[in-house]
Amino acid sequence: MTPPHMELPQGTLDLLILKTLDPGPRHGWAISERLEQISNDALRVKQGSLYPALHRLERRGWIKASWGSSENNRRAKFYELTRSGRKQLAAEETAWRKLTAVIGQVLEGA
Amino acid sequence: MFSDLLFRLRSLFRRKSVETELDEELSAHLERQVEKLMNSGLSRENALRQARLDLGGFEQTKEECRDARGVGFLETLFSDIAYGFRVLRKSPAFTIVAILTLALGVGANTAIFSVMNTVLLKPLPYPDSNRLVTLWENPQKDPEDLNIASLPNFRDWQRTAHSFESMATFDSAGKGYNLSGDSDTDLVSGVRVSAQFFDVLGVKPFLGRTFFPEEEISGKDHEVVLGYGLWKRRYHADPSVLGKTIRLDKESYTVIGIMPADFQFQFWSGPRQLWVPGGYTINDEDRGSHSFLSIARLKPGVTPEQAREEMAAIGTRLAQQYPQENHDGSATVVPANRIGMKGIQATLVALLVVVGFVLLIACVNVANLTLARTAARQKELAIRQAIGASPRRIARQLLTESVMLAIAGGMAGLATATLILRLAENILTDFLQFLPFRQVTDIPIDLKVFLFCLGVSCLTGILFGLAPIIGMRRLDINEPLKEEGRTATQHHGGKLRNILVTVEVALSLVVLAGAGLMLESMARVLRVDPGFNPKNVLALHMAVPQVNLYVGPPTLGRFCQDIDEHISAIPGVLSVGAVSHLPLQGSAGRSFAIEGATDPGAGNQPGAAYAVACPGYFRTMGITMLKGREFNHQDTLTSEQVIVINEEMAKKFWKDKEPLGVRIKLGMYSSTSPWMTIVGVAKNVRKYGLDQDFNPEFFRPYTQAGWPTMTLIARTAYAPGSFEAPVKEALKAIDPDRTASDPETLESIVHDSVNSRRLPMILLVSFAGLGLMLAAVGIYGVVNYGVTQRTGEIGLRMALGARPAHILRMVVGASMAWAVAGIFLGIIGAVLATRLLMGLLYDVSPGDPLVLICVSGLLVFVALIASGIPARRATLVDPMIALRNE
Repeated sequence: MTPPHMELPQGTLDLLILKTLDPGPRHGWAISERLEQISNDALRVKQGSLYPALHRLERRGWIKASWGSSENNRRAKFYELTRSGRKQLAAEETAWRKLTAVIGQVLEGA
Repeated sequence: MFSDLLFRLRSLFRRKSVETELDEELSAHLERQVEKLMNSGLSRENALRQARLDLGGFEQTKEECRDARGVGFLETLFSDIAYGFRVLRKSPAFTIVAILTLALGVGANTAIFSVMNTVLLKPLPYPDSNRLVTLWENPQKDPEDLNIASLPNFRDWQRTAHSFESMATFDSAGKGYNLSGDSDTDLVSGVRVSAQFFDVLGVKPFLGRTFFPEEEISGKDHEVVLGYGLWKRRYHADPSVLGKTIRLDKESYTVIGIMPADFQFQFWSGPRQLWVPGGYTINDEDRGSHSFLSIARLKPGVTPEQAREEMAAIGTRLAQQYPQENHDGSATVVPANRIGMKGIQATLVALLVVVGFVLLIACVNVANLTLARTAARQKELAIRQAIGASPRRIARQLLTESVMLAIAGGMAGLATATLILRLAENILTDFLQFLPFRQVTDIPIDLKVFLFCLGVSCLTGILFGLAPIIGMRRLDINEPLKEEGRTATQHHGGKLRNILVTVEVALSLVVLAGAGLMLESMARVLRVDPGFNPKNVLALHMAVPQVNLYVGPPTLGRFCQDIDEHISAIPGVLSVGAVSHLPLQGSAGRSFAIEGATDPGAGNQPGAAYAVACPGYFRTMGITMLKGREFNHQDTLTSEQVIVINEEMAKKFWKDKEPLGVRIKLGMYSSTSPWMTIVGVAKNVRKYGLDQDFNPEFFRPYTQAGWPTMTLIARTAYAPGSFEAPVKEALKAIDPDRTASDPETLESIVHDSVNSRRLPMILLVSFAGLGLMLAAVGIYGVVNYGVTQRTGEIGLRMALGARPAHILRMVVGASMAWAVAGIFLGIIGAVLATRLLMGLLYDVSPGDPLVLICVSGLLVFVALIASGIPARRATLVDPMIALRNE
């Protein structure tokens, strides 16, 4: 835990979760590990807020859950993107890129 | 959206499996995290701790997941309700008292509002009843003084007014008809009406027809319309009775119509059961003789105000046209649902204020109870907060409990309202029986008001249940956990609770003062001397058919003698008499001219109450003759016409002069009616009620004058009620076609004459009793709570040598200070609020000091007991046990 942790901007956790599920189904712990990996430990997702977020996304119908067995044959709850989840991911990605681009422009211009 | 709903429902109904899945998911996560951390070199114990910290509390995360799934709301509700049940069951005293309190407050208000709704707000039982109006003559100077109309004036109205679709008139007095023919003679209440009567009310007959205008003419009027009830009772609902002839007062009438079952009509009497056409007499045709009540149906779109303007103009024109009879007179319109409702409205409004106070007291009580209990639960709540419940979550839990209590209280309140209406059914129907146009047989519960009252008490419970929570965010959760013994004396919300006691005492004092004033009024009314001796007198009402109101058929002289002979002969009957108007049952009025006096001119004629009596009336009633004699059987149609006047009449018209031997005659100075000599002066009796002033009155003998009704009175040696059968038997022997009905005793007449006071009094006293009870419960609750909190302290004091009396004084003294403050506030409130009762009081003024002193004393007494019981219990505690309790 060497680098200083960055707080996740409001509303971006959902986007990140959807993104980690883009390659394929994962269970909760794997998602949190993946999130830490891709962000080089700089981004710390509080595990406490990961699960409520997963249940919220499931309710919205963007991901769906199913029980399966994991790498070492343990039962685990796997989450995967639904069709509307993919659409949502695409939309949110575009929105995010646009936002960062605009903010970047503003910062450069200043 | 739909899938969202399905998802939520699945979460809800498959709660168990969803819950286990959640557990499994989070446990699996923890396991992996622990493995990972152990791999990085931590001990199992440390790894576990770290993993838990990372997750941020297992239960809390679960709770957040539930929220995220959206089942949170309903699921939490279920668990809160289950928890609430446990909590409420664990403190049954609190629960029962709170529910009862709510029930009384909600129930009393619902009951009274339901009466108000039935009586004042419900439309009259006729189609388009908002277009129904009553028409009145009134003096130009005083539009509020409503008088019934004369027939010629009514006809002029009918001819000239354009505001009305139809107009009708009926004999204001109505009468009992001796209905005979096929079976026993029945006395049936009926009324003479004009042809359009049923059109105005908007009712078609169930069978047959109603009257034609030509049938109003005397001689062609021998037709009758029967009420459904009478038809069913006497003729077994046989349709063939139509066209048949029945006998009314010994004359033949043809049945031409039957009214529908739901048709009812009453005015200044109970419901009428038969209708006959006007059949107007010479007397009726007199423009100066007022005996007809007029009703009309407004044309659609015409307001009562517009009609009133038109009628005022017509009335004024008629006054110019007939200056003798209509001197300074006019005419006016009053909506049918407003007529005769003033007194009832005042009473109901006063009662509403009282039950409003009861509801307030109930609310304060619930507030107090909830406050005390929430304070007592500080520790429990602190523990819940410590293990992760947010203040919002706790507030929700308390809210659920409050609403549960309110719903239970509301249900009990509905039952209470039903019970109150059931218990008060008799006095309510007595009180409401003579409302114009309304026959009040049942009073349905008003659900709107019930919901309103429930809402109010609900809100109170919620408000005060949550009050302690508002401070809780700031509260160090360790404080209540540590709190034992030492800090117990500083209890939360103690002051607020004491203030609530003050408020409660003040409110109940106001209500008690009102009840006290009503009781005192009633006592004073009943102490009034009615002017006659009501003990052991039987009264029976009879109809006396006759053509001309003021000149009786000559058979009556004989009839007076007959009853004297036959009824006096019954063993146990001491004396017999008869009269047209019994005391306390109203009277007719007549104008007259005094011999030798100067004619005061039209509109200024002297007048007095008028009654007709058989010889023996005054003796039988126990009315003292102050001067002269009463009637005897030598006063006949051929002898000198005689009258007896009352004390008040003598005082008003002759002051110090001798009235005996003076002659007066009925009607104008120009009238041709015979002179009548005053032969006696009788003591005043109360004609209109014990609480009403005396009016001048004069009597004529039935041997010389007539009246359509006659009340037979018999003074008996014992139990007057038991003489009904022998008296009726004797009457039958005199005349088989004549019957008497509605037996009453004079004592019951005196009793019934204060019915209009009895209902508000009984209700007010009961509600005041409820208020007092609630206040006692409130005081008890607060003192009991305080004492429980201070058990340790009290034990310590006693261990150090304080005597029980000392402790008692300390505890009771502290609570009495608040109660006494409430009494002072209440006295101020009572002085102001009891003015509302002004119209209902007799011989006692609002804020009467004696009444205030008595109710204050009563409250002090009750407060002493309510605080003394728990205080005394505290002194009985063994000091050692009390101290060890810490």
